[in-house]
Amino acid sequence: MPKVLLKDLTYTRSGDKGDISNIGLIAKDEKCWEIISREITPERVKQHFGQMVQGEVKVYPMPNIMALEVVCYKGLGGGATRTLRFDVTGKAMGTALQRMEIETD
Amino acid sequence: MKKVRIASGSSYWGDMLEPAIEVAEKGDVKYIGFDHLAELTMAIMQRMKAKDPTKGYIPDLIPWMDALLPICHPKGIKLITNAGGVNPEAAAEEVIKIARAHNITNLKIGVISETDMFEKMKELRAKGMEFPNLDTGEKDIESIESKIMAANAYIGADMIIEALKNGADVVIAGRVSDTALYVGPLMYEFGWEFKEPYWDRIGAAVTIGHLIECAENVTGGLSGQWDKVKNMAQIGYPIAEVSENGDVLLSKVAGSGGILNQWTVKEQLTYEVHDPANYIMPDGIADFTTVKVQEVGEDQVRVTGMTGKPRPEKLKVQVGYKDGFISEGLILLPWPDAYAKAKQAEQTARKRFEIVGLKARELRFDYVGINTLHGELAPEPNYEPNEVGLRIVARTDSLEEAGKVGREATHLWTLGGTGSSYGTPYRPRPVISLWPTLVPRDEVPLKLTMKEV
Repeated sequence: MPKVLLKDLTYTRSGDKGDISNIGLIAKDEKCWEIISREITPERVKQHFGQMVQGEVKVYPMPNIMALEVVCYKGLGGGATRTLRFDVTGKAMGTALQRMEIETD
Repeated sequence: MKKVRIASGSSYWGDMLEPAIEVAEKGDVKYIGFDHLAELTMAIMQRMKAKDPTKGYIPDLIPWMDALLPICHPKGIKLITNAGGVNPEAAAEEVIKIARAHNITNLKIGVISETDMFEKMKELRAKGMEFPNLDTGEKDIESIESKIMAANAYIGADMIIEALKNGADVVIAGRVSDTALYVGPLMYEFGWEFKEPYWDRIGAAVTIGHLIECAENVTGGLSGQWDKVKNMAQIGYPIAEVSENGDVLLSKVAGSGGILNQWTVKEQLTYEVHDPANYIMPDGIADFTTVKVQEVGEDQVRVTGMTGKPRPEKLKVQVGYKDGFISEGLILLPWPDAYAKAKQAEQTARKRFEIVGLKARELRFDYVGINTLHGELAPEPNYEPNEVGLRIVARTDSLEEAGKVGREATHLWTLGGTGSSYGTPYRPRPVISLWPTLVPRDEVPLKLTMKEV
């Protein structure tokens, strides 16, 4: 089955609220939207991040702008003020998610 | 249909002043909102006020007002800021001094007192109310009580609207929600109230606030459009032209840098949101899943279809408490064998920490250039790196233990292998941890004072 990287299907912006990492994934077109809305599930995101995300993952669809809101609980190593990560606000978490390999059909 | 033009003039403490001057001079706006506060800023402000009772506001207020008042007051542009921090009254005194220095008269200033909830929450707890940590579910706030530095409620636009009704030219608040800086003027201008049938309009105002409150983040900053941006260094701040039906045209000053298109707007719309159908703010709950985003020209995006629900009965209170220290160090190892030298240096540091008996809550090593940002998701390099950094970082309960981390990191200056390079050692920093919780809206006192120059 043909595979692509999630980075080729999406734009991303990520940020934080406490120890929660919020990742916006915006599909580049309708074909990309069809793929990501099917393939990006909480289970897959959780598995992808491994130890980096300690808590639950939720995925909210925004079909109106062909985007997904990916919410990762306990995703920032304790939150901006106490995490030992350099990326205290999880700005790079979106790009880390974009490393995911996706089957296109 | 009536339209109101409102711009953003700052999105964090330390943001750029020049684009704010540009929107004031050329943006043809009636209001500019200024957000200077992040989640832990209130605790930092509290510490500044404890040292000096005339401080505790955001220092950027002074250069911002000094530059903007002389431009904005003659044009009737109203400035709405949360730079008051934990001391909006002291901030107002500074604004008065600045106005006098510029011979500005007839300036009305609305001062919204900061609502420190620490004592109030004690009272409420005595009555049996609980304040669980919203993020972690921990119930027992007493476990951190002795370490609490600040407990500030995120209030809504109520007092901003009141200040504008009283003719305020400048509104100085503390911890109002970021979106309230924009919701306030829009509700005032259009006569929207916190009741039916205005919840969709307020939802629109919250959405518009969310879209422009991060200033340059919607005009090309932090964007997947980074390689298409023209003149990033002179990026323009966003301007929202809002219609009475809640629709908005987003733009920036013609000729300013940056880029504003469907992608930058969608990026910002998804930024730091949980459930996009329920974006909960003190003034209302916006639904981002009904919004339509449409490019209508160069650097012009129309956003329509916003909806909303009634404002929540509870307000968020962010409690900041002292939680030990973080100490870190960095060395950079050069080619040849940079990565191998960095790995050896990690082992050396770990043994040194054992020898000196470091008591750390957490200890972390990052390989800069390899895995600092993507952690375990980053593949091992299949090439010989030119250089690799070793970052050492630990969280400790005491300053003394934090000092050990810094000291052992400096020992790698000599123990780190050929060519180990280092800069200036970092000082340990105190950790302020956050305990977000909810309080009933009615228990949060709101107070407005009007001053005049």
